[in-house]
Amino acid sequence: MKYFFTVILALFLVTGFVFATGTKEGVKTLVYGTTEKVTDMDPASAYDFHTWEIFQNIYQGLLSYPPGKTNIVPGLAESYSANAKGDQFTFKLRKGVKFTDGTPFNAQAVKWTIDRVIALKGDPSWLVTDFVKSVDVVDDYTVRFNLKGPIAYFPALAATVPYFPENPNVYPKDKIVRNPSELKGGALVGLGPYKVVSFKRDEEVVLEANPDYYGEKPKIDRIVIRYFADATTMRLALEKGEIDLAYKTLNPSDIADLSKNSKFTTYKLSGPYIRYVCFETSESVFKNKILRQAFGALINRPEIMKKVFLNQNEPLYSMVPKGMIYHTDDFKNTLGDGNIALADKLLKEAGYSKEKPLTFDLWYTPSHYGDTEVDMAEVLKAQLEKSSMMKVTLKSAEWATYKQQWKAKQMAVYLLGWYPDYIDPDNYTAAFAGTSGSKGMGINFSDPKWDALFTKEQTNTDPAVRKAVFEKIQKMWTDEAPTVPIFQGNLYVFTRKDVGGVEIGPTLIFNYNALYFKK
Amino acid sequence: MKNLLRYIITRILLTIPMIFILLTLVFVILRIMPGDPVSAMLGAHAPEEVIEQKKEELGLNKPIIIQYINYMNKLLHFDLGESMIFKQKVIVPIREKLPATIELTFFGMFFTLLFGIFPGAYAASRRRKGRDFAIRIYANVVYCIPVYWMGLMLQLILGIWLGWFPIAGRVNARILVSTFERTGFYTLDTLLAGNLYAFGDVMLHLFLPSLTLGIVLSGIFVRLTRANMLDVLKSEYILSARARGIPERKIVYKHALKNAFIPVLTMLGLQFALLLAGAILTEMTFSWPGIGRLLMERIYLRDYPTIQGVIVVFALFVSIVSLIVDILYAMVDPRVKY
Repeated sequence: MKYFFTVILALFLVTGFVFATGTKEGVKTLVYGTTEKVTDMDPASAYDFHTWEIFQNIYQGLLSYPPGKTNIVPGLAESYSANAKGDQFTFKLRKGVKFTDGTPFNAQAVKWTIDRVIALKGDPSWLVTDFVKSVDVVDDYTVRFNLKGPIAYFPALAATVPYFPENPNVYPKDKIVRNPSELKGGALVGLGPYKVVSFKRDEEVVLEANPDYYGEKPKIDRIVIRYFADATTMRLALEKGEIDLAYKTLNPSDIADLSKNSKFTTYKLSGPYIRYVCFETSESVFKNKILRQAFGALINRPEIMKKVFLNQNEPLYSMVPKGMIYHTDDFKNTLGDGNIALADKLLKEAGYSKEKPLTFDLWYTPSHYGDTEVDMAEVLKAQLEKSSMMKVTLKSAEWATYKQQWKAKQMAVYLLGWYPDYIDPDNYTAAFAGTSGSKGMGINFSDPKWDALFTKEQTNTDPAVRKAVFEKIQKMWTDEAPTVPIFQGNLYVFTRKDVGGVEIGPTLIFNYNALYFKK
Repeated sequence: MKNLLRYIITRILLTIPMIFILLTLVFVILRIMPGDPVSAMLGAHAPEEVIEQKKEELGLNKPIIIQYINYMNKLLHFDLGESMIFKQKVIVPIREKLPATIELTFFGMFFTLLFGIFPGAYAASRRRKGRDFAIRIYANVVYCIPVYWMGLMLQLILGIWLGWFPIAGRVNARILVSTFERTGFYTLDTLLAGNLYAFGDVMLHLFLPSLTLGIVLSGIFVRLTRANMLDVLKSEYILSARARGIPERKIVYKHALKNAFIPVLTMLGLQFALLLAGAILTEMTFSWPGIGRLLMERIYLRDYPTIQGVIVVFALFVSIVSLIVDILYAMVDPRVKY
């Protein structure tokens, strides 16, 4: 029996080492590692960062962003125009573009897609239904969007995933597609620089260059997206050379180590990802805005950045992130950082004292925001309790529970994060303090004055008017504080030295066709 | 033989209530846990009517007892149901991921026996000597070590520092799986496809996860084998073998170990459940795409039918293995009568 085991072990190692040194395929393949997950393979339903990223590479929008930039350029539409009132947008489509199965792309496909998004009511459908009344096919290559009212930032909306034209011959009209196997033909058929050739959920997605793509041809033949169950293994896989690129989400200590490693290129992206505290403002103890202000005054952002994120992120003093138009630093100038004196004054004013402190549960969810979340919650608790008038209990719940709880108003104060749907300050403000958006986030803040301001900035195309409105909103935010900003997240991409072309701008759109091997 | 057949049938019949009780427990626990698939699936912007519509579509607005009866009814018709999140038959991801877990546990068991039985036998033959103490310390230490920590250490030492073995996944991402995949058992598939390069790569990928699992679970087998060997080495037939001048090595590994192995074999069946539990953590550490990882991912999503389906498969797996072990036991030990 001993010999049996010895023989098996020897076989195990010998076959591994001998055969694995054989020949390899001659296809230029880049392996991209991530801890993200793919959700529904349907632009009408998916509403997460990573799935959108894949769609941005296998489908195309009528309008798009050049790699790493924020200016909108023509995509599947060669040009567009708006009527004088700003409630009708007409797009002239490219001719001769085909889906990867050979189906011609035309105006009917655009209308079919938008009608489908509206009918299916998927999670991102509000990006269409809140703004678009109907779509008309003017001719085969002209399509008109009739809006519910003038929308200043409609081109930015038209560049989002729910607007990406689908192939009517492949997607079912009345059903959301979760897996490519549910599509007619069993495969994703797009218009982008890459096409999906293999899809294994939570394991890997294999993309290959689309030879019929109308734009800049991809320089890498095949991109394999590998899904890792944890960040540490992904970091090790990068060090081992099993992956060429690691993006979202490494631990701060791994980021610090890899940044110092000369074998890798580090890309630091100051993206529009923000983290903030939400308050339930209709029924909880935090319906009193003085308490929200006191909470905001006690947060010491630089300390959180240093202790939890090893200074890899930036403190944020407005819900509108730095680098975006109309950003101001109002929270810094009014409530400040770790302002215990102001917090004590406000708490006293609200009737609290050392003997009768404000006690509440601060909620966080480690299953959605990673390993650092518990650390951030603990540092926050320590900062809040620097005021003798606050007693904080930390509570956590998994993401599924968390969402259910904020909808049921079971959390008075909780931590959340935001990736934008479209690049405009409106998406960072109306989504939290507008009556409808605020309800969805569990904040339940509602004020007609605020709603009027949002309507004004949404319907006005004059930059000066919009600037004035957003500056006013940001100032008002420090007074009402329906949410309190904490930090703006930097994202890190690590690649092997021979990989180039990582161009991810503030839109966070990652165009794989810009990637290349240096040798 | 007739008795053995009766025993097998009885065991199979006993598996049914076991799975029934297990599933009932899992069903109830999942429903009383906070969070539900609809909350996990839909984002913050989902309108109330969509949430309600989704609940109705998934049958989550029905009383729990009705949901339970419906589920059991489907199960009786060998239908594990449909994933609430990804709208595909539960059996599809299980069928896709199960071969990965079977390969991992098979090779994990191999290392468990390799690092459990021989050191155990050797320790018994060197009782109360330095090497015996060293092996006993090894057994205690590895028994206490968490699987993920052991996995991380092996990844660092054998994967990164020495660079000998890959540390994640089942096969190099640069090898297109579709070129060889047939059964899902990559060791077999690569051989069937005649792709020896891929076969070698698959073997190398299997090494670290199965070694991790094997080492962690070997502790209990070291102790068990050692204890049994100590009893066997005191037997009269061992004494007479020694008296006849048979070399000690032959006595220990050929004569004594064979007998000491019988109780170990029984334990092997019982330990299989532990092996599967260990496989869940190993799969997470090595990003191994098996059903353990599937279970973890779907727990986060509250995908009730998939979680229940994986539990059924785990339970069946453990029952089948322990049944096989019992049958082997009867074959190996002629004293056992059913």
